[in-house]
Amino acid sequence: MIKIKNMYKNFGTLEVLKNISLNIEKGEIVAIIGPSGSGKSTFLRCVNRLEDPTSGSIHILGENLVDEKTDINIVREHVGMVFQLFNLFPHKTVMENITLAPVMLKKMSKESAYENGMRLLKKVGLEDKKDVYPNKLSGGQKQRIAIARALAMNPDVMLFDEPTSSLDPEMIKEVLDVMIDLAREGMTMIIVTHEMGFARNVATRVIFMDDGTILEDEKPKEFFENPKSARAKEFLYKVLNK
Amino acid sequence: MLEYLELLKVIFIDQNRYMYMLQGLVFSVSTTVFATIIGLILGVLFSLMQIVHFYPLKHKTGFEKFNPLERIAVAYINLIRGTPAVVQLMILANLIFVGYLRDTPIVVVASIAFGINSGAYVAEIIRAGIQSLDKGQLEAARALGMPYSLAMKDVVIPQAIKNILPTLVSEFIVLLKETSIVGFIGGIDLLRSANIITSQTYRGIEPLIAVALIYLILTSVFAMLMKKIEKGLKKSD
Repeated sequence: MIKIKNMYKNFGTLEVLKNISLNIEKGEIVAIIGPSGSGKSTFLRCVNRLEDPTSGSIHILGENLVDEKTDINIVREHVGMVFQLFNLFPHKTVMENITLAPVMLKKMSKESAYENGMRLLKKVGLEDKKDVYPNKLSGGQKQRIAIARALAMNPDVMLFDEPTSSLDPEMIKEVLDVMIDLAREGMTMIIVTHEMGFARNVATRVIFMDDGTILEDEKPKEFFENPKSARAKEFLYKVLNK
Repeated sequence: MLEYLELLKVIFIDQNRYMYMLQGLVFSVSTTVFATIIGLILGVLFSLMQIVHFYPLKHKTGFEKFNPLERIAVAYINLIRGTPAVVQLMILANLIFVGYLRDTPIVVVASIAFGINSGAYVAEIIRAGIQSLDKGQLEAARALGMPYSLAMKDVVIPQAIKNILPTLVSEFIVLLKETSIVGFIGGIDLLRSANIITSQTYRGIEPLIAVALIYLILTSVFAMLMKKIEKGLKKSD
């Protein structure tokens, strides 16, 4: 479903991603972990071209993202994204946040976008907040709305960029629960995360990145019990024994 | 006391001298309004020129990030902000509006001069308002598949307007006050009307105080109006 080949990304002279190649199949739950500055977020942002890769190719559903002739907006409709800082639209109500893109991009009529919005709000447990402005919500609620907003476009794959990293500890679970539901429904997901419990228990595959390269690509059980690289061992030792 | 009121009557009421002030007021306000309209149009145009990703030579090495529109806009803004408004006004009146254009009404010349001047400041206000907005907003909209133009129209600009509007109104107020220099090119605005009354009555202070009061009332009204609008815009905060 997603085929990445020999992808490089430079910021000026700094090489952030070095020769990344990766295939992701439908229904996989891929957790990307690694130390800060290892290129995890940049990698994720290349997958929907919020960052332009310097070289290499990315195919999503058969379309080459790096090709200039590809209409990136069409591809993005199939790729939902959830950000660390939510990025809800503060001047729109919760329901307007969810229905804006489907209606403006003429994916749905106003009425069906609203119905779909209600269904998604029920799914994330926030149907009573539909007419509230985002600034009245807690962090966990904002992130659940952000997930609902991304789902409103009926994406085939969802990207999560550290979705719980800016949340109070109490609110992490409510967001993870929504993500677990999504995983159970068979959504293809790529998640940059520091939640090791989630990576271990929910992901079907763990990718460990360091210094712009993929060091390990394993089943979670194998990775957590038997990391191969010294860097991964050190990383796991530090995060699991904090 | 009564004597002084009598004097004020002589200064302002006798021979309908208040009419000078009224005409001056009309001149000042209409110049400001026309200049604001021109300034807004130019400001939007020049701010967009700086913001759009227009790189016609992106395939040439060394020119990937060369945006000619931005260069033009920056040059215009630096030129206008780096020279006094009086100088700009006089250059326009004495070098451009000559010959066939000599008979152009002064209110038109002044409006164009102040509009061009204000445009540079408005462009900077709009650019700063848009660029100060969290870039996550544009990213979130783009990630949903919205094209750049749609993301700007529905997500970025409505929020930017909220940031911009208060500064824009203070720019309007600055402009209103700044029009008092049109006397340099023979425009009869509020300030000049005071001079005329002085020359007829030999009283220098009262007409000037009256002018100051009129300016103060005008600017206060606009400032108050702005507060009201700002409150309305804050409903989602």
